[in-house]
Amino acid sequence: MSEGTRVRVSLARAGFRLDADLAWDERVAVVFGPSGAGKSTLFEVLLGLHPRAASLVRVGGVLLDDAERDLHLPPERRGLGWVPQDALLLPHLRVRENLRLGAARGGAAGAGALERAIEVLEIGELLERRTTELSGGEQQRVAIARAVASGPRALLLDEPLASLDLELRARALRHLLRLRDELRLAILYVTHDPDEALLVGERVIVLDGGCVVATGPPREVLWSHAVLPLAERLGIENTYDARVVESSAGASVAETVRGLRLVLPFALAAGESVCVGVRAEDVLLSADPPGRISARNVIAARVDRCEASGADALVHLDAREPLIAKITTGAATSLGLAPGARVFAVVKAQAIRRLA
Amino acid sequence: MSAGEIAEITGLTLRVALVATLVGIPPAVGLAWLLARREFRGRSFVQACIALPMVLPPVAVGVGLLLLLGRRGPLAPLLSALGVEVVFTWGAAALAAAVVGFPLLVRACQQSFAEIDPRTERLARSLGLGPVATFFRVSLPLARRGVLYGSLLAFTRALGEFGATAVVAGIIPGRTETLALGIWSRVQRGDDAGALLLCAASFALALASLWAAEGWLGRRPR
Repeated sequence: MSEGTRVRVSLARAGFRLDADLAWDERVAVVFGPSGAGKSTLFEVLLGLHPRAASLVRVGGVLLDDAERDLHLPPERRGLGWVPQDALLLPHLRVRENLRLGAARGGAAGAGALERAIEVLEIGELLERRTTELSGGEQQRVAIARAVASGPRALLLDEPLASLDLELRARALRHLLRLRDELRLAILYVTHDPDEALLVGERVIVLDGGCVVATGPPREVLWSHAVLPLAERLGIENTYDARVVESSAGASVAETVRGLRLVLPFALAAGESVCVGVRAEDVLLSADPPGRISARNVIAARVDRCEASGADALVHLDAREPLIAKITTGAATSLGLAPGARVFAVVKAQAIRRLA
Repeated sequence: MSAGEIAEITGLTLRVALVATLVGIPPAVGLAWLLARREFRGRSFVQACIALPMVLPPVAVGVGLLLLLGRRGPLAPLLSALGVEVVFTWGAAALAAAVVGFPLLVRACQQSFAEIDPRTERLARSLGLGPVATFFRVSLPLARRGVLYGSLLAFTRALGEFGATAVVAGIIPGRTETLALGIWSRVQRGDDAGALLLCAASFALALASLWAAEGWLGRRPR
């Protein structure tokens, strides 16, 4: 959320406490954490559902709560376009009527934004349908467009991809990223998925047990010491934005801005941009050049540091891009992986997932 | 007993039941929403009071209404100032029927409101709809099945209302004589044939109304 977002909240409920004092200027922020961390509760406070819990909330430079001045805007005047995880389309209204719900507040600007959103989210053909006839992904896209149409100062997206299967997720994520870039709306995005946190956010706020554990740029934060145990618990992965540079039947080669080249197990048009992910446990390390080998990605890298994680070691590599390999402590010892050591990271093309 | 007489009594009965239902809907919907959505002190007491007319002897309800609306009742000055005479008119019959059917209406509406995911209303608010707009554009449409079902139940209850009506409206042929009252007065007079005819009309009306209610309820949701 741009131009100064400030959130100071403190809420105690049966067996749960949320305490946060946050400030950021980035347009797109991601709230990341495991379930039960307080992400949805934070959203409820932002939406104005717990006025007594919000001591200071300012979004995009506009004051929504200020306990000192006894100012608490009601939900309808806060201008936050909420998209809940399960879309919550109104079943008694058709898609078009759902989209119109926020039209009164959105006005002409909202109508313009809605037109763009309908195009970007590819829901033009769904307008006359009943909401009960839509698939999960379609419902989610309609819910996002509905929020956009209400002319919000910021979109609040609550795990928008959580209910979708893998294939649909990649597609939905592409839609979301396009929307993010074309509508230039401020976004606060909740997720428990590190891939999404890395891809979507300009800033990541990590919540655990109702407290802010870390906050900052996604790559720094998600790989920071404070977050690693948490991120690891969630299965953090290596993710990259890349552009396709070569393409052939059934495979393509993509390259990141910093020059990391990856062979992907699917055909894409040259020039297309993709987001891909590799799980840390899918990365093998070899001290010597591996020679003739079936794996298509052999990446020369330098060890940045090693971190113990139970019986495993997380080896942070510099492979033009940051790359994390998860190997056993025994393997790390026998390879002699000291910082600065040269290694080869081996990744099967099949282990690379397309995220968007 | 002439067909015209039967038609007149049946028509009056329908009018009384219809007005009773329509008069009851707005307060019932409002109360039901409050009970389903708001926590307040004395909520269960209010809930119990609303159910009272369902379990009290209808005659007692009638006496209560008579005390309230009669010449020496607390509402008498207001009614006379408005120039409205309620007691012993068909309006009194409608009021009596409305009171007795009210609990059914509130119950059905309340259940429907309670079944709506409260996040749906929060979502509408976040889109810029105020509390009133949210109620009319989201909550009420989503609860419409319950409101309609409750209305049909209350309407059917009103068709057969006797005790409270007899006390507060009297049994005045052509003015307040509904089917239930007509049957009673004919039995008293020994006009068994007439009573039976009115019983048949009563039976047909009640069955049609209940059938409609159940049919409505059985339809696919939303």
